[in-house]
Amino acid sequence: MLGPVHRWIWRDAGRRAHKLFRFGETETDGGRDLVRAAELTGDPLLRRLYLVHAADELRHGEMFRRRGTEILLALPQGSKPSYQADWLAPSGHGEDDLHVDGRDDTLLAFLHLSEKAAASRFAVYRDVLQDDPPTRTVFEEILHDEAFHMNYAFSQLARVSPQHHRRRLWRARLSRLWKGYLRLAAALAGMIGAVILTLQYFILLPPFAFLARRAQRRETPGWTPISPERKDSLKGQY
Amino acid sequence: MKILGISAHYHDSAAALVIDGLPVCAVQEERLSRRKGDAAFPLSAIEWCLEHAGLEPEALDAVVFYERPMLKFDRILTCALRAFPHSWRAFPKAMTNSLGQKVWVRGIISSHLGVPARKILFTEHHQAHAAAAFLTAPTHRAAILTADGVGEWATLTVGHGERGPNRATAIALLREIRFPHSLGMLYSTFTAYLGFAVNQDEYKVMGLAGYGRPRMVDDVRKLIRRTPDGAFTLNLDYFEFHTTVERSYSSKFVALFGPPRNAYEPIDLETAEGRRFADCAASVQRVLEDTLVEMTRALHQETGLPDLCLGGGVALNGVANARILAESGFERVFVPPAPGDAGCALGAALYADRIHFGNPDRDFPDHPFWGPPVDGAELARLAGEDEQPVDELDDGALIDQVAGDLAAGRIVGWMDGALELGPRALGHRSILAAPHSTGMRDRLNRDIKYREEFRPFAPVVPVEAAGRYFDLPPGGARLARFMSGVFPVRPEWRARLAAITHVDGTARVQTLERDMAPRLYALLEAYGRRTGIPVLLNTSFNVAGEPIVNRAVEGYSTFRRCGIDVLVAGQTRVTKSASALARPKEANA
Repeated sequence: MLGPVHRWIWRDAGRRAHKLFRFGETETDGGRDLVRAAELTGDPLLRRLYLVHAADELRHGEMFRRRGTEILLALPQGSKPSYQADWLAPSGHGEDDLHVDGRDDTLLAFLHLSEKAAASRFAVYRDVLQDDPPTRTVFEEILHDEAFHMNYAFSQLARVSPQHHRRRLWRARLSRLWKGYLRLAAALAGMIGAVILTLQYFILLPPFAFLARRAQRRETPGWTPISPERKDSLKGQY
Repeated sequence: MKILGISAHYHDSAAALVIDGLPVCAVQEERLSRRKGDAAFPLSAIEWCLEHAGLEPEALDAVVFYERPMLKFDRILTCALRAFPHSWRAFPKAMTNSLGQKVWVRGIISSHLGVPARKILFTEHHQAHAAAAFLTAPTHRAAILTADGVGEWATLTVGHGERGPNRATAIALLREIRFPHSLGMLYSTFTAYLGFAVNQDEYKVMGLAGYGRPRMVDDVRKLIRRTPDGAFTLNLDYFEFHTTVERSYSSKFVALFGPPRNAYEPIDLETAEGRRFADCAASVQRVLEDTLVEMTRALHQETGLPDLCLGGGVALNGVANARILAESGFERVFVPPAPGDAGCALGAALYADRIHFGNPDRDFPDHPFWGPPVDGAELARLAGEDEQPVDELDDGALIDQVAGDLAAGRIVGWMDGALELGPRALGHRSILAAPHSTGMRDRLNRDIKYREEFRPFAPVVPVEAAGRYFDLPPGGARLARFMSGVFPVRPEWRARLAAITHVDGTARVQTLERDMAPRLYALLEAYGRRTGIPVLLNTSFNVAGEPIVNRAVEGYSTFRRCGIDVLVAGQTRVTKSASALARPKEANA
C-alpha cells in the first residue's frame, strides 16, 4: 500500500544516501548491543551466536555506509540536501532499542520480532529500488542474513525457554507496543514543552535579555581575575 | 577520610575514591556501561568503587561533584539571554536539558547514595582540573594552566600550586578566560567543521594536521585575537556554538574556509578537497600551539617556577604539549593520564581532601592504574568453552612466548592488572604489535581498529632506551610517561619504526619505567633481545566506536571479532582458531 510513498522516498539520490548512512548507524549500534549481550550471557552457544550476529550487523553497517558513499560521490557538486522523511521510512530495526540486561529469553524474543520487522521493511525497500541495482543487491544480501537471525533467535528461544517461549514472544510484542506508546508520548510531551518554553522565551525574556546585553557590554575582554573568596567554600552549587 | 569524587553530565563520567589522601580506585563509567564517552550519572562506577573498597555509602565523609551546577546553569541562561532572539531554537533544548536533570545534582547524589546533603560538596570545574594536574604530579611547586571547552564560565585558568614543608597544600587559580572565548571551543569548532564528533574526535584533527600545511594560519587568526593583557578573545562572528545547538560555526566561517566536510565522505588526501581539510587542521593546530606557547611562556616569566602542570581536555594535545616543553621556558611539564573530565572525579576528591579539609599531602602513586583488575582465569574459562587454544604459563614463559608472537608479526591483545584511568592505554589494556612496517599499520587500521588511514599509532619503549630512537628534549621522558607528548623519531630509525612514525616524522611515544608496568617492561626487553629494537606499537584495546575493554570477557569478545591473533590476560594466553566467527551448526537446532 505504501509502495508509491517508498518509491518517492528512495527516488532522490541524496535522500537515498542519507538513508543508507542512517541505516548504517542503526545496524552498527545494534551490533554493539549484541556484542554486549555476548559479553553478558552465560550460555556459550548464545555467546557465539550473538557474536556472529553482531559481526553481521557491523558488516551490514559497513555495506550501507559504503553504498551511501558511492551514491554521495556520484552526486553533482553543490547539490542541495532534500527532505529526508526519516519517519516514513525507518531503518531496518525501526525505533527498536535493544535492551541488554543479561536475560537471554527476553532478548531472544525481542530479537526475533525485531529481525522479522526489519526483514519485512527491507523487502519493501528492495522492491522499490528497481532502478538502483547496487543498492538493491545490498538489501538482498542483508535480507538473507536477517532470515538467519530471525530463525536462530526463535529456535534458541525455544531451547532456553521451552515451556514459555510463546508467552515470551507475546510479552515482547506487548513491550514493543508499550515502548512505541512511550516514544510517542515523550515526543508529544517534548513538543508541548518546547512550545511553552518558546512562548516564555519571547514573552518573558526580552527585558532580561536587554539587561544581560547591557551587562555584557561592560565586560572587558581578556583575563578575569579570580577573587580568593570565590573558591573558599565547596558547599555551594553557585 | 573517605571521599568520593564524581564527574558527570557532559562527557566521560567517572568516579574516584580517595581514602586517607590516596586514591584507592577510579574508573570511567564508559568502561563499565560499554557506551563510549558515557555522560550519564556514573552509578556503575560509583558502585564498583565502593564495592572495591568494601564501603557502604554511609561510610563516606564527603561526596564531591566536579563542578557547580547552578553556576553552569547561570552561564547557559545568560548566554541564551545575550543571544536573544537568535537563541530561540536553542533555548527550549537548553532549559529541558539543564532543568531536567543537570541542576539537581545534590538531590541525585543524595537519592542514589543515601548520603545527607551536607556531605555533598562542589568544586569548580577548573579547580578539579587543576587539582588533577598538580596534586598527582611529583613536584612541590608548579605553575598551573588548565584549558578545555568550558566548565561553568571559565575556559582557561592560570595559577600555581604548592606543597609546603608541613605537608600543607595550596592551589591558587589567579585568573581565568571566560566563555565563549575558549581555545577548546575553537578547536572543537574545527573538529565539527571537519566532520568529526565534537568532544571525542579532536585527536583526529591533530592526526590529520600532520598531513597538511598551515597555509590558513592568517585566516584562523581572524577567529582568535590576542588581547593586550596576554589573553585572547574569539571573534564571535565566525561561531554559533554560543547561540545555537545545530552547528558551532557560522556562515562567515564557511565563507572563509570553504564548505564543511560531510561526515560520511572519506578524506582523500590525494584530492584538493582532502588537502584543504588537512591544511585547515594544520592551521588551527598551529594557532592553538602558538597561543599556548605564548601563554605558558608568560606564565613562566610571571611565576619563575621550573615546573608546569597542565590540565583540561586541551592538555591531550601532545603536539602542543611538546612545543610548550620546548619553547615556554618550563623545565618540566606534567600532564596527568586523565587530564579531561574523567580525571576531574579524582581531582575533585583530592581538592576536597587537601584544600577543603586541609589534610596533609601524601606522596602520590605515579601511575594511571586505578580501575578493575583483569582475571586470567575468566579468559581461560571463556576460551575453553569456545574450544579456542588456551595456554596457562608462568610469567617468564608467557613473556617469552608473547615476544615470539610479536616478532613473528602476530598482533597481541594485552590485558594486565588494573584498568587505566583516562583515554590512553598505557600498558594494561593495549593492543601490541611489531612497529617496523607500514604493512602492520595498515593491517591494524583495516582489520582491527577500522579507522581512518591518517591516524598514527603510538610506540612504547623502556625509558632507558627512549633516547636512542626518539629525539626527546630535557623533560621529554617525563611528558612521555603518560603519552602526553609528540616527539620526532630519530631519522635513522624511521624506516625501521615505520608503523609508529607519523607522516611528519613524529610519534606520540610512551616511555616506560619498570616500576609502572613490570610485565610490559619485561616484554619490551624480551622483544628487544629477539629483534634488536625494544620498541612496540601500543594502541588502545578497543575497536572503533567502543570504549577500551575492561574485563576479560570484553577483551575476549573484541579478540573474537577482529584481527587480533593472540590474547593475553594475566597468565592466560589464547590463540585464535580459524573458525572463530563461523556460524555454529547448532544455531537453528
